Amino acid sequence: MATDRSPASSGSEPPVTLWGRLLGEGLVLAAIVGWWLLSLGLPDYIIPSPWQVVEGVYSLFFDPVKAEHTLISTLRVLGSVVVATALGGALALLPRWFGFTDLIVHQRIQPFLSSFPSAGWAILGIIWFGNSTPSVMFVQVAILTPFCLVNVAEGLRELDRELIEMGTSFTRARRRVFFKLVVPLLAPYVMAAVRIAYGVGWKIALVSELFGADRGLGFLMLEAQILSDATTVFSTCFAIVLIFILGERLIINPLTRLAANP
Amino acid sequence: MTIDETVTASRRSRLAAHLFTLAFLLAWWIYGQFVEAYVMPGPWAVAVRLGEFFSDPAMVAHMFVSFGHIIGAVAISFTVGFALALLPYYLPVCHHMVHGRLSPFLNSFSGIGWTLLAVVWFGINHVTVIFAISMVLTPFAIINLREGLDNLDAELLEMSASFDRNRARLFRLVLLPALYPFIFATLRVSFGVAWKVALTAELFGGSSGLGYLFNLARQDFDTPLVLAVIIIIIAFVFSTDRFVFAPLQSRLAGHRGD
Repeated sequence: MATDRSPASSGSEPPVTLWGRLLGEGLVLAAIVGWWLLSLGLPDYIIPSPWQVVEGVYSLFFDPVKAEHTLISTLRVLGSVVVATALGGALALLPRWFGFTDLIVHQRIQPFLSSFPSAGWAILGIIWFGNSTPSVMFVQVAILTPFCLVNVAEGLRELDRELIEMGTSFTRARRRVFFKLVVPLLAPYVMAAVRIAYGVGWKIALVSELFGADRGLGFLMLEAQILSDATTVFSTCFAIVLIFILGERLIINPLTRLAANP
Repeated sequence: MTIDETVTASRRSRLAAHLFTLAFLLAWWIYGQFVEAYVMPGPWAVAVRLGEFFSDPAMVAHMFVSFGHIIGAVAISFTVGFALALLPYYLPVCHHMVHGRLSPFLNSFSGIGWTLLAVVWFGINHVTVIFAISMVLTPFAIINLREGLDNLDAELLEMSASFDRNRARLFRLVLLPALYPFIFATLRVSFGVAWKVALTAELFGGSSGLGYLFNLARQDFDTPLVLAVIIIIIAFVFSTDRFVFAPLQSRLAGHRGD
């Protein structure tokens, strides 16, 4: 069955052959060499050299002034992912507790949030809350919530009804059934929501920092673009790629494994 | 639950949804009474601006420019994504290159980054906007279509290969129809995400389109226009998804026997 899968969730990988690995790493090497050759013939404000970008990425992690931007963006994205997952999860669970809210959630709130353009939230965020971290977080949460809502709702639809029925035949305590059965069964879907929200947070929701922030990687990127500082724009993009991969490997993947085998 | 109870519950749910819409509009109107018009214009002011939007050919033209950007970007990203997903399918040695290196890189690269870099490389024009949106959509296409290729019925492919060895014919008559549900899922996801990123790309890298209009409205504190554009986008995205993609996708899934 076709699914509206996000790039955040990919299937299991087959073993990599020697030629396959050579081709894969060869592509990376060829891309770096091609980039370097291109940078030799073009000014820095269009294509900086790979070495300049490596230095830029290093400074984004280890230069105290620039690292502050990196840290703030990371904390904002992580905070927004947590809030959006909680909010999306609560909205998805609402029809389970109050049946009459089913259409409110799935035919009013979800389509509204899913179709709302991210730049629209960014502009409204700055009009409503001004230049501040709450403004940035509001925009990010507004962008991420529908992704979480859709995933958790999908999990609720897929819940093993017979297992829940069996659980309720052993105990009538709804709270016990919820925490002992529904939560563990739902955990993989919640983690899928976290994974998608984390990806979208870095890829799309960073737009919030272009308008409503005076710190953060989005702000830094825009400032660099205005100053024709392509090195910083490149460095920031690569720093985001690094943080994204590190976050997936160090936080999301272990949590996903934990959710799959509670 | 009896049939009567189900019907009653469904009626209650529908009534609650309509009441929710009314309550939302009422809350919006009340809030609009207490704050400055540029912070939150009331529903009526936005409706008037919406009317003005559709009676001004120049503004409608911006809307069509955005449609063009999105259709162009979806077409490009789909073609590139499909080609990249097919490469490891026919040449398994490329699997690590596409799914282990290229796709994760594209997938983790910031959409804003593509937009700002495209402005530097191509200037402020249609190419920048379409390029930025396409770069965000391509990994979605690769991963969705890979999912389709991974889920192909191996026995069906084997059987069809025993009837005909012509690869082009097998692709056209067996593989492509088997992939239809995934192709539509990809187009559906791409279309939804494209609207999310298109306005940002037009805002920074476009000289026309709804995003460009957004930027002008933002600079002029014309919040009714900002909200009018948002309403147009929500209405368009929602109705396309509900009345075009969803029925088409479920029809194709039905054909496939899912």
